[in-house]
Amino acid sequence: MKLLSRIIAHKLTALVVLLGLGIGLLIVPLLTGKLGANPLEKLLHQSGEIAIWLLVAVLALTPLRVLFPKSPLAAALNRHRRWIGVAACIYGVLHFACHILYEGDPAAILKSFSKPFIWFGLAGLTLLTGLALTSNNWSLRKLGGKKWKLLHRLAYVAAALLLWHQTIAGKGHWHDSRWLIFPLSALELARVLKPRLIKKAPAKTIQPVQPQPSQS
Amino acid sequence: MNSSRSWELPDSAVTSHADFLQRREFLVRVGMGLAGTALFPSLAGAASFPSSPNSAYKLDGIALTKESDVTSYNNFYEWGLSKEEPATLANKGWKTRPWNVEIGGLCDKPAKFAIDDLLAALGAVEQRNYRHRCVEAWSMVIPWDGYPLARLVELAAPKPEAKYIQFTSFLDPEHCPGQKNKSFNWPYTEGLTIAEARHELAFLATGLYGKNLRNQNGAPLRLVVPWKYGFKGAKSIVKIDFTTEQPNTLWNTMAPSEYGFYANVNPEVDHPRWSQGSERVIGGGFFSSKKPTLKFNGYEKEVASLYTGLDLKKNF
Repeated sequence: MKLLSRIIAHKLTALVVLLGLGIGLLIVPLLTGKLGANPLEKLLHQSGEIAIWLLVAVLALTPLRVLFPKSPLAAALNRHRRWIGVAACIYGVLHFACHILYEGDPAAILKSFSKPFIWFGLAGLTLLTGLALTSNNWSLRKLGGKKWKLLHRLAYVAAALLLWHQTIAGKGHWHDSRWLIFPLSALELARVLKPRLIKKAPAKTIQPVQPQPSQS
Repeated sequence: MNSSRSWELPDSAVTSHADFLQRREFLVRVGMGLAGTALFPSLAGAASFPSSPNSAYKLDGIALTKESDVTSYNNFYEWGLSKEEPATLANKGWKTRPWNVEIGGLCDKPAKFAIDDLLAALGAVEQRNYRHRCVEAWSMVIPWDGYPLARLVELAAPKPEAKYIQFTSFLDPEHCPGQKNKSFNWPYTEGLTIAEARHELAFLATGLYGKNLRNQNGAPLRLVVPWKYGFKGAKSIVKIDFTTEQPNTLWNTMAPSEYGFYANVNPEVDHPRWSQGSERVIGGGFFSSKKPTLKFNGYEKEVASLYTGLDLKKNF
């Protein structure tokens, strides 16, 4: 367990996994012609899926640490929050680029901007981009921990916008997005409730671990 | 468009040289397929497929969608939500023989057919090249083998009060992973008006590319209504009913504001969430092949008269 946590905590692990997703799910299928009958649509969907799963994963990490404060695994995973968040944004931008290519001509691109699912996607991606650009240590110092943390709470707003974007983007998409929405909501709820429930417990009072800005 | 029939495609759609070369490979595969049929006659089923398309629906110079694309890119939620799942999951031993089709409701000759008896009763198989436009804004051109639906309507002899026809697909949640998903009202149902069902273009397919329908394409019998969005084409049909009331259809019941009963292809009526103004042609490569969607999917001249006096924006 200790070794596993150390491996997971390593920067190289994050790099391999985050790049590997793109290589394994986008680049290799592209180069080997495995994207199927509608290759650009496949890239569009696949990049969006990677982005939303990474975003939900990064938001799930804080609750995991709060709920399991002693778990070395949760701590190890939490070291990578910044890079997972940045990767979610990069795959999101890639996804948007695929949308532009998929629509093809300026008229169609413009028309797509009249659709609500595009508004939700664009709004969420704009937030994510802002957060990715201010995710560096320089921004953290400039803004100060408190303001920075408040700003980066916008990740929850972005997630809500983007999960709704995913849900309404196509026929039957709810059947995919619910596998992200319900577990994440449950985790966040548990995280919010845990300190309150523990306060009520009479015997021992545990100081809940406060989420802190990533310092990896 | 300068061709005599409005469903024909312009010369610009002529098969490219690369596709022509692929055709040689295709011929080899067909040869092997025929040999296979000779060795395993059960594979052939009852229908014998014609070697060339019905000349009225031939579409000279047309670029057909590659067979491998038609059989690997499928919306068939009974087998899963992705386009790829049906081709794998529907071919893990799932059987379409024996198979029964029940014809009932308001008709003079209700009957329960074994599929091969029904196919025999429907007469000679013909091949037709049809455009296929999915509600998700992609399209194919598919050589179907089958029968005019009108023949089945004749066979059943609907009563005068029958105004609609309903198609019901199989229900087999035990073997069919997608049907374990309880948020769909399985089995799949679809419907047409009697007038639509009697139209010469409405088609019951039992094959494509001159071979038995693959499971992922709706074997052993499916509906093909080329002027409507693809979801109208109920697959793997087990029941056909004649009714006075407009029948329930799966998508219309689940999301009536998004999927109308008529579901005629119409670039002027967008899906509430995306545009129907253009479509991506499957097999057209990475960056090319987006084209404007045609009203009634290019079959306007033939079918528009079915809807005179009907507000197509309200009755989408």
